[in-house]
Amino acid sequence: MEPRLSGLCTKKKIEKYSTPSKVMFVLPRSATDDINFDGESFHNFFECWMVEQNKYLNELVAANSAQPQLTDDTMHTLIDKVVEHHEYYYREKARCAKKDVLSMFSPPWLSSLEAAFLWIGGWRPSMAFHLLYSKCSMQFQARLNDLIRGQKTCDLGDLSASQLTEFDDLQRRTIREEREITNMMAEHQETMADTSMVELSHVISEMIGQGENEKKELEERIESVLEAKLEGLEKILHRADDLRLRALQGIVNILTTKQAIYFLIAAAELHLRLHEWGKKKDDAKRSKQGNREGESHNS
Amino acid sequence: MAGMCCGFVGEGDSSASSRSSRRRNLDMLPFKYIADMAVSSSGTSRKRRQSDLSGKKDFESCEDSNGDHGNDKSKKNKNGSSQVSENKPSTEGNLEEGEFPKFGVTSVCGRRRDMEDSVSVQTSFYEELFHYFGVFDGHGCSHVATMCKERLHEIVKEQINESQENFEWNSTMQQGFARMDDEVQKWNSSSQTVSCRCELQTPHCDAVGSTAVVAVVTPDKIVVSNCGDSRAVLCRNGVAIPLSSDHKPDRPDELLRVQAAGGRVIYWDGPRVLGVLAMSRAIGDNYLKPYVISEPEVTVTERREGDECLILASDGLWDVVSNDTACGVVKMCLKSHKVAPPGSLANNDVTTDGSDRACSDASILLTKLALARHSSDNVSVVVIDLRRDQRPSSNSNNN
Repeated sequence: MEPRLSGLCTKKKIEKYSTPSKVMFVLPRSATDDINFDGESFHNFFECWMVEQNKYLNELVAANSAQPQLTDDTMHTLIDKVVEHHEYYYREKARCAKKDVLSMFSPPWLSSLEAAFLWIGGWRPSMAFHLLYSKCSMQFQARLNDLIRGQKTCDLGDLSASQLTEFDDLQRRTIREEREITNMMAEHQETMADTSMVELSHVISEMIGQGENEKKELEERIESVLEAKLEGLEKILHRADDLRLRALQGIVNILTTKQAIYFLIAAAELHLRLHEWGKKKDDAKRSKQGNREGESHNS
Repeated sequence: MAGMCCGFVGEGDSSASSRSSRRRNLDMLPFKYIADMAVSSSGTSRKRRQSDLSGKKDFESCEDSNGDHGNDKSKKNKNGSSQVSENKPSTEGNLEEGEFPKFGVTSVCGRRRDMEDSVSVQTSFYEELFHYFGVFDGHGCSHVATMCKERLHEIVKEQINESQENFEWNSTMQQGFARMDDEVQKWNSSSQTVSCRCELQTPHCDAVGSTAVVAVVTPDKIVVSNCGDSRAVLCRNGVAIPLSSDHKPDRPDELLRVQAAGGRVIYWDGPRVLGVLAMSRAIGDNYLKPYVISEPEVTVTERREGDECLILASDGLWDVVSNDTACGVVKMCLKSHKVAPPGSLANNDVTTDGSDRACSDASILLTKLALARHSSDNVSVVVIDLRRDQRPSSNSNNN
């Protein structure tokens, strides 16, 4: 179960980035914090967050098997903690994106498998509903006969009419918003070839081999034009992350505590295992390439 | 390849000469024509698929019941089998008068990104005697299905009113569907604004349509009108009886009809009219006329003592759940509820929207079963409880 600790994530770092208490979330971290967030340090943060995610998964699994003894309050506290852990992730991501939005769009901390399935720097929000339906289906099939006889199974197979309606509603709203953000992104991507960009790239091409002074002036222009593009990206990323978090919170809010535990377990399992499989694939590819290079070197 | 296909389409198509402009539109569609022999082999493939979908029960079995007036039913209604008298609540002592049957509805987007299904329930939509249930599965966009949901019951009601003299279900429903189709066409040409996806691409509005399966439940009859591949299934004495037959392009009689109209059924991801639409009848779909028609097939079934429930659903359910399984699930679900609540709790059985808890649970169960079996479509299910002996004060002695 223990994910392979990357060299980036030492015990000390875990302590540094970990989220020990609720109070910690409430207190805004000042910009003068000793952690200087950028792409590199978000990499560290991510590794530690994943270790914590695994810790929470174990807690959820334990709570699930100890269910009869646990009060609803105890389970609720755990669920809140896990959801807050996700909120924490997006807060740190937003902070980091302010300084280095580009690494959020090609995150070096992800495997190429995960990167291939990215939607605007993260998981596609509508995927949450497929995760939900898949887990519901598994639990539904497992207890089909009991459910038909009207027995309560209290798991995800046992969604009520109102829950189903609420999910359907939330799903449709999420997809609508997802489309809006996709369109925003499309429009923003298209501005990469707007008149100012084309003009600037032409002028620069013509200028090659000319005076240093003019070049310097233009470089400032390039910088400011690209800066606007990055700002746009950051805005879109913020909306996308916001939608991801709201989809997750929305689903958990509709579920009963017992169901929410099942859902959060499934979400964590999928997240952790996908990361693991992707890393394994990348490692295999790297070692294959290494071998080939070694061979060609030898020959 | 496209040329080949369109050549076929045009051949012998004299009746549709006025539609040449529409056909020109079709010329531009990227048809993939797969050898003609695929069409001729459709008979066998259809049988195979149909038995997969709907179990062993034949559509014909429900037609048997059409002319068969169950004599275990209220005799007074039998007099009314001339159908005119049904319009008047004159049948005293009738069990169902003034009460609407219990029902439950579930309609979800499921694993698709667009919701194109619509459901309409109109209890007591005609003089407290007739109850209307409709499932509409849109394609291309959702607006035709939405229009059917909003308008079809009104139209049917008007048709019933207009035809007091020699009322007959078949023609009434057919005229109703024809008027619905007209309204869709008029709407298309008027290009009103509407909040649906396709407003962005108005020229293609002609390529939008919807299935329609409508059940009118009267004190002694179940009238099912169907156009497209949604389906109505009756559960009678534990046996699943389909009250509609899906309009698939490879249904032999439908294939002949399409071909007689000058159309072609082309296999491209299953049989499709002109290689485009995977059903042979629908409301809307102007560009596929006259091959795709909006005329419904109407079945009139006498209600009997052994009737348990009626299920209407879109193909999101029927693609993955057989008629028999669906009936089995609903039957068990209704039974288990019957045991549980005593009369004093009766209020708990009716939910806020007027639906019944047991039926609602049954419709949810079917929906969840469809999702569990990986239905990739929207899923809409209506369950109607047809049992007569549920009320303690029931007129069992009147029967």
